[in-house]
Order: sequence, then C-alpha cells, then structure tokens
Amino acid sequence: MHSVVNKIITDISRVILDKEHEIKLSLTCIFSKGHLLIEDLPGMGKTTLSHTLSLVLGLNYKRVQFTSDLLPSDILGTNIFNAKDHTFTFHKGPVFTQVLLADEINRAGPKTQSALLEAMEEKQVTVDGHKYSLPTPFFVIATQNPLNQSGTFALPESQLDRFFMRISLGYPSKEAEKKLIMGTGKTDVSDISCQINADDLSLIQQEIEQVILSVPVINYILDLVNATRKETIFATPLSPRASIALTKAAKAWAYIEGRNYVTPNDVQIVFPYVSEHRLGLHNKADKIQLTNLISTVAVPV
Amino acid sequence: MSELNNHSLINITLSSINMCLILLLLSFFSPLFIIILALLGAWNIYLSIVNNAKPKTRKLNILAAISLVVMFYSVGFKDTVNLFVAMLIMGTIFKLLQAHTKKNYQTVTTLNFFCLSAIYLFDQGIITTVIVSLLFVLNFAVLALIDSTHKFKKAFLGSIKMVLFGLPIAIFLLLFLPKLPAFWQLPSPKVAKTGLNEQINPFDIAKLSNSDELVFRAKFNKPKPSTHPLYWRALIHDQFVNNTWQTSKYSRPYQVNNIKKRLTAESDYSIIVEPNANMWLYGLNYSSSEHKNVKSTFEGTLIKRKPQSAKFQYSVSSAALNTDTLSKEQVKRYLSISNTYNSQTQALAHKLRNSVGSDAEFVSALQLYFKDQLFSYTLTPPPLTGENTIDQFMFDSKRGFCGHYASAAAFMFRTAGIPARVVSGYLGGEYNSSDNYYSIRQYDAHAWVEIYLTGTGWQIFDATSTVAPMRLNGSLSQLQQISDEFKSNLDFGLVSLSDFAVINYIRIKLENLDYKWSSWVVGFDKQKQRDFLKRLFGEKNIWLVPLFCVGVLCVIIGIYFVYLNFPVKKEKAIGIVKEYETLVKIMAKKNIISPEHYSPQQKLSYFAQQRPGNKPYFEQFNDLFVQIRYQQQAYTKQRKNQAINLINLIKNSK
Repeated sequence: MHSVVNKIITDISRVILDKEHEIKLSLTCIFSKGHLLIEDLPGMGKTTLSHTLSLVLGLNYKRVQFTSDLLPSDILGTNIFNAKDHTFTFHKGPVFTQVLLADEINRAGPKTQSALLEAMEEKQVTVDGHKYSLPTPFFVIATQNPLNQSGTFALPESQLDRFFMRISLGYPSKEAEKKLIMGTGKTDVSDISCQINADDLSLIQQEIEQVILSVPVINYILDLVNATRKETIFATPLSPRASIALTKAAKAWAYIEGRNYVTPNDVQIVFPYVSEHRLGLHNKADKIQLTNLISTVAVPV
Repeated sequence: MSELNNHSLINITLSSINMCLILLLLSFFSPLFIIILALLGAWNIYLSIVNNAKPKTRKLNILAAISLVVMFYSVGFKDTVNLFVAMLIMGTIFKLLQAHTKKNYQTVTTLNFFCLSAIYLFDQGIITTVIVSLLFVLNFAVLALIDSTHKFKKAFLGSIKMVLFGLPIAIFLLLFLPKLPAFWQLPSPKVAKTGLNEQINPFDIAKLSNSDELVFRAKFNKPKPSTHPLYWRALIHDQFVNNTWQTSKYSRPYQVNNIKKRLTAESDYSIIVEPNANMWLYGLNYSSSEHKNVKSTFEGTLIKRKPQSAKFQYSVSSAALNTDTLSKEQVKRYLSISNTYNSQTQALAHKLRNSVGSDAEFVSALQLYFKDQLFSYTLTPPPLTGENTIDQFMFDSKRGFCGHYASAAAFMFRTAGIPARVVSGYLGGEYNSSDNYYSIRQYDAHAWVEIYLTGTGWQIFDATSTVAPMRLNGSLSQLQQISDEFKSNLDFGLVSLSDFAVINYIRIKLENLDYKWSSWVVGFDKQKQRDFLKRLFGEKNIWLVPLFCVGVLCVIIGIYFVYLNFPVKKEKAIGIVKEYETLVKIMAKKNIISPEHYSPQQKLSYFAQQRPGNKPYFEQFNDLFVQIRYQQQAYTKQRKNQAINLINLIKNSK
C-alpha cells in the first residue's frame, strides 16, 4: 500500500503549497487513528488542509464552525418529537461523519467542547441516555486560534491530551505565496480526486502496526518521556498515553518515509508535535525548551 | 572499495608464488625459457619494492612478443602440454606485471590457481604436494588481502584455516566420489629425463648413472624374494645394426592382449611407476599383469596399453623365462649380425667355440675369457668411435660398463651360433625392509644378455657378473669398488650424501613417506576405492554409497550455510554496538567529535560530512547499523566481518 502514500502527499501538495512536512505530519496522525489539532492564525490554510485530506482519503466530511453560543446538541444531534406517531426520532448532528472539521474549537464554551471530546474518545454519542455509534473511521480535525486572541476558551489539559498531535502550518515561503497571489500552479480543492477509500486506509493502518520497533528505539522513547517528568519546567509532564502516541506516530512516520522499521530520528521528528500541546507549551520560548530537552537526552545505541 | 590498500605486499607475494612455480618447473623446461621467466619475476619484485610502479603497456607488449618467440623457440611445438603450461605461466607473469586494479589482481590469483595445479602434470610427489599446498595458502592469502585491510599475518593464518577446512572435504571426495573417466585427455607431457632407450649404443648408457631419479618401486607381497639378483626387464633388443642394438618390429608392442599365464608364478608383486612418457614397463623374468592398462608381450615384458604419464600401480606375476623351442624364423632373427665389421671379435668367437664341445661350455669359456683378460668395470670408459667399436673394446680398452659387456657378449654369442638378445632394464634396487619394497632409480639401469640354449631354454648371461660380481648383489650405490667414482658422477642430491648417517636416515624416511603417498594417495584408483568401499559398507550395502555421498555433501553445505548466517554471540542485543563505539573512539582520536546527543545515524552522517573521502564507508556502516539495531536482523559473521573491515578502512585512511 505504501506506493499510494506518495501519491496522496503530492496530491495534497498541489493544494497546500510548500508544506510537505506538515502534510506528512497530518497523515501520520490520521494513519495512527488519532485526532489532529491545527493551531494557527486565521487564513493560513487550516480548513483547506483538512478538507483536502478528507477528499484525498475518500472520507465523507462535515464542518462545524464553533462559536461561543454553540450547544452540544448542535453537534451531536437531537431528539425531535414526531407528532404523527407520538415518538421521538433522533436527528443526527454533523458529528455523524468520517471526518469532522471543528473549526475554531476554542471559540465554543467548555460544555460544547467536552461533548465533542466525549465523541472523540468513545467514538459514540449519548443523547437522552441512548447511545449512537459513530461511523468508522472517525477523525476530528480541530483548528484553533492562538490563545492570546480575544473570545477564546482554552481547552483544558486533560482534553488536549486526547488530540494525538498538534501542528501549525506557519506562513508559506515567499515563492509559494507568490504562486498563491498569482493563482498559478495551485489546484483547487474541488479538483482533488480521492486516492483511497476507508478499506485501504485500514489496510495502511494494519501495515503500520507491522513496522519494526526495536529495543533501542523503545529505550529512547522512554528516556525522552522520562526526561519531561524529571524537569520541573513542565507543568504537566507526558502521560503513558503520550508515550503510546509517540510510538505510534514514530511508526507511522517511518512508514510514510518508506521504511519498515523505526529509527531514533523518526522519534525526534514527531516528538515536538506529539508532546507540545500535552506539556502546555504555546509560545516560542516554551518550544525552545523542548528542543533543548531533546538535545540533553542521549540516544541509546 | 576499488582502491587497493597494500599494493606492494600483494605484488611481492604474487611474484614470490611465481618464482616458486618457476623453481618447481626448473627441470621440465629449457634453461633459456626458465631464465626469461625468472627475469620477469625478479623485475616485478624489484618494481614493487622500489617504487610500486608498473611498466608501460607498450613496453610490455613488445616484451611479451619477444618472450613469446623465445618460448616457441625453446619449448617447441611438439609437446603441446608443455607448450600450454609454458604459455599459461608466462601469461600469468605478464598479467601480474601489468596488473594495477583490484580486478587485475583477482585475475592473477585465479590464473595462479591453474598454474599451481598444472605442476601436477609433471610431478605428484609428496614434497611437491606440500610446496604446492603452501603456495595455495599464499594465493588464498593474497585473495584475502585484495579484498580487505588485513595484515599479511592475519590473511595468511586465515587462509591456512580455510585450506585446513577444505582438507576433510578433499579426503572425502578422494575416498568416496566415483572416479569418472576423463572427459578429454591431455597428451602426456614428455619427461626430459628418460631412463632407457629403444636403441642401445653401449657407449651411451653411462649417462644414466648420474641421475638418482626414482623410476619405480616394487612391493613384494611375500617377504623379500630369494637372494639372487633382481633383473628388472624393460626392453628387448634383438637387432644389431651399425653397432647398435635395436628393438625390432617383432619385439615392438604389437602383441596379443591376453597372453596365457605361464605355469605357476614364481613371485607376485606390485609396481608403482613414476610418471614418465615411455611405453615400456618393468617386471622380473617372464611377467604378466592383469591391470587393464598393461599388456604382456611374447617375450614376457610389459608395456602400457595406452600412453599414460601419471603415476600408476600394477600388479605382476612372474614366472621363469620361456623354454619353448624356437621357430626357424626366431633362430634366424636371434642369430643375425648384419655387418661384417668387428672381424677380430668374430674370429675370437669362432676360436673360442671351436675350442669347446658344447654351447654351454662356450658360455663358461666366454666368462673365463673376460676374467683372464683382466676386463674391468668403469663408469667412465674411454670413448670408442669408428666401425669396429666392439673390436676396440675387446682388444684395446677392455674397460667398460654393462652396455659394453652386453653388447660384446651378445655379438659373440650370435657369431658362435647361439641365439642371443640384449635386454635392458634395471638391476637390483634399494631395499626398504620396514615396508618390504625396492626403490629402483635411474642409476640402477643395466643391460645384459639373454641366450637360448637348446634344452634349457632362455637364460641370463651377464658378463658384468664376472667383471664386477658385487654389482649384482645390490644397487650401484652400494658397490664399494666404484663407489667414489659413482658419487663423483652423481648430481648433488641426497643420495650423494649417503655417507652421513643422519642424512641417510632422513633420506630413507622421506622415501618411505613418498612411497606411502604414492601408493595410498596418488595410486588410489578405482580398484582400491571399490575395495575400500566394500570393506566399509559391506558387499551387500554398496548401493548406500551414493546416498551417503549426497548426504554428506548436503550436511557440508548445510554447515557452511549455518556458519555464514549464525549470529556471532548469544547476546545479540549488543550486536554491532561494540563496533560502533570503536568507530566513535577512532574518530575521536582523529579529533572528529560529534555532538553528544546525536543519534548514531546522525553521528555517522556527521562523520561522513567531516570526512567526505570516507563517505561510502560511513554510509555502509550506517546501513549495517540500521539493519542490525533497528531492523532487528541477525548479526552474522559476514556482517561482523564487513563492519570490522569498514572500521579498518576508515581507520587506515588519511
């Protein structure tokens, strides 16, 4: 299945110019069955990325714009009284989809946020005591504005932990931006055709599970995670869930790179994206601390 | 890795191998050719010691052309095998002179393997085998040196190990593999030193005494035969033309295939013949053999059925000489003297015959005549020329060796009307009591007369027995009377030093070893193999042999496969880490220290950046490291060797 991965990446790159690294990271997240948090300023292409991803992967896609007055039922769905046969019928909300884009998730209130987060964790929703399963696969791609913007509710750490990765797209390069302005060399989202379907995706996920994880790499992951626990600079050190996420991400990254084994380099590459949001790092200064951490941990041979 | 790391060492070793090769072939090629080869070899050694340079191609081509002409001139076209071997060796030496890449050197080593094997066309003795094995080891060592950075000692020990590993397989193949007939046959190389000649000119045979080359060995099944002298017959000369005794067409090998075994055999023994290109073989008295490549003649001598130059063994049964009555043609043949010279001798023969009553009495009279006239035995007779050489010998010089006496006596018998023929062969031999065998050497060559007396049949007349009776009782080397003369005539060899007890002891031990080698290894033929297998498996289970062979071969291949792929140690988790750490230390010594937190791969690529010249080595090491540490593949011997090689390459580079 690996051959199709490169095709996916080139396809997305035609829409999101000059962001191959971020595209690979977002694929890593989806291949690892994790939810993705994209944090960036408005207008950086977050929505486009998530839309393109779902199109290429052949998944159906719904988008919810989060606002401060958004209620849980607006996302999950609600029971409506049917006057004809005197029963309540459940009207599914936008969460019943394969890819849900939760745009500007930190604009919604905590109540709505946690309703979504339950769906993310359990892959099911409960309305009036009745459980409804969500379709598989189910991914949430949430976008978030930087916290210092007005009118935002910060996601609590416990909930941030449920996002597999946090990435940010950043500004495009000068060349890429020029192309954007001129409107040349860029494909429109609507022109993207799907490369795989949900079955292929699960095949890829199975293949990723076969990627060899050797003892030195496991030791390295443990060393890194333990380093965050020893340092006092991090308010919330990495949890075991983070360790597992790190491992999965490294495997998926290795797979995308075309290898069937993980190296410490893979771990180093994915480590910031898996751990930053869990450690509560937001600004640049915090991120430098993480880079320093990596450089203090010796790589076991 | 196409660069060679120890150019001059490889060069010197290869040219030393060539020099040894030349030494081994010294006696089989003309001196001119040997000198050319030696000069080329020496030149190569000189070049590799002085400046490691190679001569220009054009110069080499011209030299090669000249040498080729010289080779054709000195080796000649007659003997194709010699020619091919000469071409192979010369080609190898020239290739070495021209070699500069890894591939060239590999070609040279391959050629060397052929050259070394070609020596067996000429000599299959145990000493040669030991030397050739040593050269094989050296050649393997060179092969190892070409491909790695080992020191010479390590490569040498490694190849000894390899050759020793090969030894059991070789023994197995020798013992068990069926001996197939050759698909094609080489024409036999002609050996320069021959013993006897089909034409006896009696003034010629003394040359033989200065060669102590082994001709054949005779092994008796029963204890040492009776004490009377052993006359090993080889050739019968029944025609006297121009003072020369020749083998007539009647005595040439046209004889019947299955001659009936005569009466009861007097003795049974087997003979191991050293390689030679002659057709004739050796036997006592009237001999017959059942070996499939041995024919018997009417006269009881043995000849090869087809030319065979290799050492081989045949068993012989001997009976007394023929007593059948001669036919008229035979009488005529054995009496003919086709020239009218030597009238004095003829007159003497008639006079002697007339003075006695019977043929038998003439025999003793002739013996008495030699004794009374004070004939003496010498290895250095005065040269006799002219048409009446027998007269000159009988009346003037009266000194000579077996050839003279045989020639003159046979002439006189024929003149006196007694059928006679000259027989050449070997007399006596050196007896080895521990293994009950005789070694017969070229200096044992002898000629005598066989005469036919009505009633008693053929019998031996040896005039030498009258002149030098001691000559009959042992080898020429043991004959005290002429011992000094004999030794001064001999080439410098171990035999000539036989006065020193220690050397004599060593010589006899070596002989014994060589005897065992030739009878058990070189002479291990189809028949011996069949007997061996029958004894091992039993008569009924002989069908098991192929199964056994295939089984053992499979096991050998299996063991080799496991050996190559077996993880080096139990604690394979440590795997390549040790080598990696060594590499980091080596780099630290070279003042290249990578940041501490780098992953092994990052460190390796950092090293590669710092040392762009060694980039491929670091990349290969990185691949190995990834395979073993991250892909969890086994750390096999092969991989370990590769890792060590890479480290050495990096370590030794500047």
